[in-house]
Amino acid sequence: MIDTLLSGQLLFSALVTGSLYALVALGLNLVYGTMRMLNVAHGDLVMLGAYAAFWAFTLAGVSPLWAAPLVAAAGAAFGVALYRGLFRGMLAKVTPSTAGKLEGNSLLLFFGLSILMQNIAALAFTPNNRAYAYLDQVFRIGNVSMTANRLLVLCVAGGVCVAVALFLSRHVAGLAMRAVIERREAASIVGVDVDRVQRLSFAVGFGTAALAGVLMSMLEQFSPFSGFPFTIAGFIVIILGGLGNVTGGLLAALLLGIIETYGVALTSANLRSVLLYGSFVVALLVFPNGLLARRLVTR
Amino acid sequence: MDRPGPLWVGLALAGVAAVALLPVLGNEYLVGTGLTVLMWLALTPSWCVLSRLTGYVSLGHVVFYGLGAYLVVITWQQWPLWLAVPAAGLLAAAFAALVGGPALRVRGPYFVILTFGLAELVKFSIMAAESAMGMAARILFGAPDLLAVYWMMAALALASLGLLAWVSGSRFGHGLRSLRENEEAAETLGVPVVRYKLIAFVLSAAIPGMVGAVMALRSTYFVVGQVFDPMVSVTVIAMALLGGGDGVRGPIFGVLFLALLSELLWAQAPLLYMILLGAILVVFVLLVPDGLIGLFQRWRRKGAAG
Repeated sequence: MIDTLLSGQLLFSALVTGSLYALVALGLNLVYGTMRMLNVAHGDLVMLGAYAAFWAFTLAGVSPLWAAPLVAAAGAAFGVALYRGLFRGMLAKVTPSTAGKLEGNSLLLFFGLSILMQNIAALAFTPNNRAYAYLDQVFRIGNVSMTANRLLVLCVAGGVCVAVALFLSRHVAGLAMRAVIERREAASIVGVDVDRVQRLSFAVGFGTAALAGVLMSMLEQFSPFSGFPFTIAGFIVIILGGLGNVTGGLLAALLLGIIETYGVALTSANLRSVLLYGSFVVALLVFPNGLLARRLVTR
Repeated sequence: MDRPGPLWVGLALAGVAAVALLPVLGNEYLVGTGLTVLMWLALTPSWCVLSRLTGYVSLGHVVFYGLGAYLVVITWQQWPLWLAVPAAGLLAAAFAALVGGPALRVRGPYFVILTFGLAELVKFSIMAAESAMGMAARILFGAPDLLAVYWMMAALALASLGLLAWVSGSRFGHGLRSLRENEEAAETLGVPVVRYKLIAFVLSAAIPGMVGAVMALRSTYFVVGQVFDPMVSVTVIAMALLGGGDGVRGPIFGVLFLALLSELLWAQAPLLYMILLGAILVVFVLLVPDGLIGLFQRWRRKGAAG
C-alpha cells in the first residue's frame, strides 16, 4: 500500500487529472470573472467536445489530435453565438441594483441550457456510455508506466493553460481582460471595450471547454450526463484558486487531482463522487466570502 | 398583498372539491395522477418558503425528500407509520438546522450550487454506504394501499400551502422579504436575518421529508439514485418559476401546468419532457420573469383599464 502511494504512478495520474481540471476551470474562471455569471452548463461543453472527437474518430477515422483545434474553434464559435444571442442584451441592462438578480437569473438560464444540451445529446446519441481507444499503448519511464494518450493530455492541457496565462499577463487584450475581471466600471472608463472582452471570454471559455472534452474522451468513457462533474470540479478550482487567478487555479486543480487520485487509491472507486462533492462543499463552507468579499469591494 | 377576490375563492373551493371527489369517482390511474399533482403541491410551496421569500434559491430541495424516504425504508416493519412519517419530517428539519448555519452564510449563486453539491454529497454518501452493506435496492412489503397514500399526501399538500400562506402574510414573512431585497439594510433595521433565514430553511425542510416518506410507500421499490434524483429539485424550481410571485397562487398554477404536461409526456418521451423543462427555464427567465401569475395580472389590469 505504502509502495503504491510513494511511487510516481499515482502522482502521474494526479497530474493528468489535475491538468484536465485546470483547463476546464480556466474557461469557467474567465466567464465568471468578466461577467459574474456562473456557467453551470460549462461541463456540458466538455461533454459535447468529447462526442465531437468520438464521432470524428469512429465515423471518419480523424485522429483526435487533428480534431482538437477544429472542435475548440467550434466551441468558441458557439460561445460567441450564445453571448450575442442571449447574454449581451441581459448584461447591457444591468445596473448595480439589479446585479444580484442577474446572477440568479443567468444561473437559471445556464441551468436550462445545461438540461437542454444533456437531453438533446441523449436523444441524438442515445444515453449509452461511449469510449474509443487511441494511443493507448503502455510504456514505461523509470518505474512509472503510462499510456501515450495520458502524456498527451498532460502536455496539451498544461500547454494551453500556460499559453492562456501568458496571454493574460503579456498581450494587450489579455491585460484588458484582467482589468475587466478586477474592476469592471473602472476598466470601461479608461477605454477598455467591455463588450469585446466579454465576447472574447465566452470564446476562450467555451473553446477551452470543448478542447478539454476532446482530451477527456481519449481517457475515459462518457455519456450525455458526464459533463456536470466537470462543472463541479471547475467550481472547486476557482473557489480555491481565486477569481481570475490562473496560477492559483493551476495549483488548486493539481490539489484536487491529488485529493481525488490518492483518495480513491486509499478507499475505493465508489467514493470518487463523495470525494469530489465533499471537497466542493468543504471549499464553499470554508471560504463563503473568499470571492464574495473581493467582489463586494470591486462593485 | 391584495385580498383574494371571489374568483380565487371559487377556484380554491373547486380545487378542494376535486381533491376530495377524485378517489370516489376516479379509477386507479386518475388517483395515481392526482397523487403526483398533490406531491408537487406539497413540495413546491415548501420550497417557496425559503427560496421565494428570501431569494436564497435552493437547488437541493430533493435532499430532504430523499432523507425522509430513506428513514422510512430503513425503519420499515420496525417503526409504525404514524411514528416513521413524522420522524422523517423531523430528520429533514434537523438536517436543515444542522447545515443551515454554515450554508446560509454563503450567498447568491454560490448558495445555489452549494445546495446542489450538498444534495449530491448526501446522495453519493448513502449510495456508498448502501453498497458497502451489499444493498443494491430495497423492497417494502405490505405497504398501505394507494388511497391511504393519497389522503396522506393531500394532508401534506394542504399543510404546505397553509404554511406558505401563513408565512407569506406574517410579520416573519415580511422580514424574509426585506432581507431578500437588501440583507444589510434589513439587518440594520433590526430584522434578525440569521435567525429568520435558519427558521425559514428548517420550515421548508420538514414537509419534503414527510413527502419523501409517503412516496416511498407508493413506489415500494427503493433505489438511492431515484429518491435523491436532482431532477426533483429542478422540477420544483421550474414549477415555482412558471407560476411566479411569492404567494400561494403562483405555485398552484405552476404545479398544475407542469404536472399535466409531464403526465402527457413523461411516460412516452422522458427526454422530450426534459428538453421542454430546460426550454421552459430559459424562456421564462428571459421573457416571463413574473411567471403565469404576472401574465394573468397584467392581462386583468389591461382588461380593467380598457
